[in-house]
Amino acid sequence: MVIPPTLSTVLRDFYADEFARIERDFRAASDGRAAIRERTALLDRIVLELGRELLGAPGKLKGICLVPLGGYGRRELFPHSDVDLMFLWANSSTERQYREAAQALVRGLWDLRLRVSPTYRSVAECENFERDNPEFNIAVLDSRYLDGDEEVFERLRNKALPRMIGAAWRDLVTDLAELTRQRHKKEGDTIFHLEPNVKNSPGGLRDYHVAWWLGLISRMQKEGKWATHEDIWPSSSRKEMESAFAFLAAARCFLHYRQGRDDNSLSYELQAAAAARGVGVENGRAVEPADWMRIYFRHARAVYTLCTQLLDESTPAPATLRTRLRRTWRRADSGFSIAGTRLSVLEPGGLRNPQRVMDVFLYVAKNGIRVSREAEDQVREALPHAFPSGATLTQLWTKLRQILLAPHAAEALRAMHSAGLLVRLFPEFGAIDSLVVRDYYHHYTVDAHSFMTIQNVHVLRNTRENWEAPFATLFSEVEEPELLFVSLLFHDVGKGMSLEDHVAGSLQAIENVFARLDLSSEQKDTIRFLVRDHLLMSANLLRRDIFDPETIRVFAEQVGTPERLKLLCLLTYADIRAVNPDALTPWKAESLWQLYVQTANYLTRSVDEERVGTDASDVQFVDRILPLVGGIAPRGELAAFLEGLPRRYVFAHSAEEIGAHFHMARNLKEGGVQLRIENRGRMYALTLLAKDRPFLFAGVSGTLAAWGMDIWKAEAFANSAGIVVDTFHFTDPHRTLELNPSELERLQKNLEDVLTGAVPRDTLLRGRASAQFKSKPKISVPTQIRFDDNSSPHSTLMEIVTQDRAGLLFHLSSTLANFGCNIEVALIDTEGQRALDTFYLTFGGAKLSADTEERLRARLLAEQ
Amino acid sequence: MPVESAKVDIKTDDPRRQGSMMRIEAIIQPSRFESVKEALHQIGVEGMTVSEVRGHGRQKGHTETYRGREYEVDLLPKIKIEMVLPVNLVDAAVQTILKTARTGKIGDGKIFLSRVDEAIRIRDEERGEAAL
Repeated sequence: MVIPPTLSTVLRDFYADEFARIERDFRAASDGRAAIRERTALLDRIVLELGRELLGAPGKLKGICLVPLGGYGRRELFPHSDVDLMFLWANSSTERQYREAAQALVRGLWDLRLRVSPTYRSVAECENFERDNPEFNIAVLDSRYLDGDEEVFERLRNKALPRMIGAAWRDLVTDLAELTRQRHKKEGDTIFHLEPNVKNSPGGLRDYHVAWWLGLISRMQKEGKWATHEDIWPSSSRKEMESAFAFLAAARCFLHYRQGRDDNSLSYELQAAAAARGVGVENGRAVEPADWMRIYFRHARAVYTLCTQLLDESTPAPATLRTRLRRTWRRADSGFSIAGTRLSVLEPGGLRNPQRVMDVFLYVAKNGIRVSREAEDQVREALPHAFPSGATLTQLWTKLRQILLAPHAAEALRAMHSAGLLVRLFPEFGAIDSLVVRDYYHHYTVDAHSFMTIQNVHVLRNTRENWEAPFATLFSEVEEPELLFVSLLFHDVGKGMSLEDHVAGSLQAIENVFARLDLSSEQKDTIRFLVRDHLLMSANLLRRDIFDPETIRVFAEQVGTPERLKLLCLLTYADIRAVNPDALTPWKAESLWQLYVQTANYLTRSVDEERVGTDASDVQFVDRILPLVGGIAPRGELAAFLEGLPRRYVFAHSAEEIGAHFHMARNLKEGGVQLRIENRGRMYALTLLAKDRPFLFAGVSGTLAAWGMDIWKAEAFANSAGIVVDTFHFTDPHRTLELNPSELERLQKNLEDVLTGAVPRDTLLRGRASAQFKSKPKISVPTQIRFDDNSSPHSTLMEIVTQDRAGLLFHLSSTLANFGCNIEVALIDTEGQRALDTFYLTFGGAKLSADTEERLRARLLAEQ
Repeated sequence: MPVESAKVDIKTDDPRRQGSMMRIEAIIQPSRFESVKEALHQIGVEGMTVSEVRGHGRQKGHTETYRGREYEVDLLPKIKIEMVLPVNLVDAAVQTILKTARTGKIGDGKIFLSRVDEAIRIRDEERGEAAL
């Protein structure tokens, strides 16, 4: 059977002309949906013409019908897509009758240079699930009638396929899920690719169709009927999906016409070309490539989210009764349930309470369970009631803090963003929604990058690589990790503002954020520092010699305190790691760690040397605090108080705290002390101001030990006038103060009595020392003592690492005092079972001699 | 020795080097890399391979103690830049690296030169200098 040459020529010319016309129309309007519908209609006409010639006149065909499948069946033929056409027979007799003609028709299409994928099936065969041909099982879901015996098609569509789906829907869904997961895995399980494939990348057209097929299968399996475009998805998703499809279709058509073949890769250059043409953009206006890709990622995110949600919901539970019962449903808490792998809200009405909305995401943050599509719609619907514009959420910080500290915080934040809650709470974040930084280095949009930084820190809990271990340890030492997470969340929002310097924009934004969070002034200062200087450490890493002492000195001065250094180091680690999967190499991580260690050591070893003086840079400290002392004292008096204190002191304390210390110093009487104890939630903070004298430090540490308090951190400084400013952070493991609030006053009185000598030190301690106990140490920490005569020009630095135990600090400081050493500076820290104490000591007003050091070492070791 | 007079002794009329290409391998301080790269681009060197490496020469490592734990810092981070150039560009490239990578301190790094017998572009099998 052959097609007459004239018909072949006519059809070829007709196809070429129409193809060119459709392309012209697309170039004018960038309407991808119109283009693919028109190409489908074009193919229909050609197939019908060939069918008329080779199979018989329309209406005369019996026992055979022509059935477009796949994209052709959906009427979505992209310019250079394959044409999937099925010849459907009623039975083997009609197959024998029409097989040759059908093959001739296919040859005719090939002769027109169309890539045809023909399929030949009987209706009975279509009722069977083809285990080894999942692609056909899926393609046939999109079948439609084109020509031939309508009764044959009706048997396919209304009997054979429903039976096949009814019997094999589990296998269908499992195959579809497996194919999708493999494809996603191959693409890194992320929509963020520098040069995505609009068909196969996550969030692309294939994911759109997966969501479509899952909808079809679900409707047929549950209700026995075919879904339509109007009812396949809930209305809340439909609009978003249709908008995404329109954009992706336009992009794919653009690529096909541009490349002249079925090439769906959006290379860098093609992104710029598409943006310049306004492909898929409203009114076809040209936009910047970064803005065009932002639109792409927004749509890709919507498609990917729905696709993965439907996959999770649709994937059948395992067959056994026990696993089915365990997996399909369990109650999460009084208001939630877990169905499969997704969280549902049992009482949607409760979402009008903003706390309840936050509880949804707190659950996600703690457990890593994703929110179901339905729950996300319910949250979105509840937002205007739960969070009216302009209202503030009381205790927002309490809930947000819990979310940020939970192991799956990043997942929760993504879910909050997807549901519209994050931008509702922090409109500043909207500036970076799907924002693209268009270079070969940044893989993720800015919002995705921010979530990734938070994830990178939490993942440190489960490190596997050696080079990650030091950062994991650092994370465990940080006192307020929530400040790090807030900083990471907002550090790049400035990139979405039209400011030259994104850091300035982020700082501006964070001030607005502070208005909604219940943070102390010190916490705000720390976050400001992290946001303002979030590039400082990486700049030093890449552009400075990190083994140059001058580099370390300058960097340390900019950072100020060990705690800020830890936070900045973790921020830098997380930030670099979230640029792209290969950005933080082990080489870079090790260099970062080396920079951290050197700077941390410098901060510890330079305390005695770096002191507030009368330099212009030190004047700023006075200026910062002067307004807060309420004009009660002349500037000179404040300057005299600060003079001689280590610079670390002014970095470690807020202006308000320093102002308060200054007041305390002014109220000091001869021989007296000024004490203040504050409950700061997790710890108590004790501040002591007094004229320097022997056994001051030992007196405080001993009294706290006698009361059963556990000292975690302490710092002891003195100014040039000999006024000591000591701070102790301690916990109350026996809950003495918590259960008996009046004891706080008694503790304070005891301290004052001990320090002023009103009560002999030994009396108080003797009574309570025996009551001290701590849990048996889990690990043994050998004592190490190191002396350093070079770090300070005035004193000898002694670092001691030993087993932490009750009363340790008292014993150490007493031994030092009894030995005759004066503690110029003390930096006390605890790491699990390890006490890490640094003392700057003088002996007789000078550094310790080598002999004195050895005698002191021997004394300390003897008393351990 | 001042940088200007430290001319590399490449005798381009040396018959052993006629028409040859040379490979330059430079190990430099990471903090100097961006300057070196930019300066090489300015003189027309566009192709290079960059590696993150660790090593030491006379700038030996040291032991750092942090919170009672010792960390050996015996191999220091460096950047290695490799490029193959026509021999007539080698002088300028070496001078550029010397000028921009130098800080004057131990640890500045080293430059190694070696002859390249052949270069082949994989895409179209172009050979010799034209392949560079």
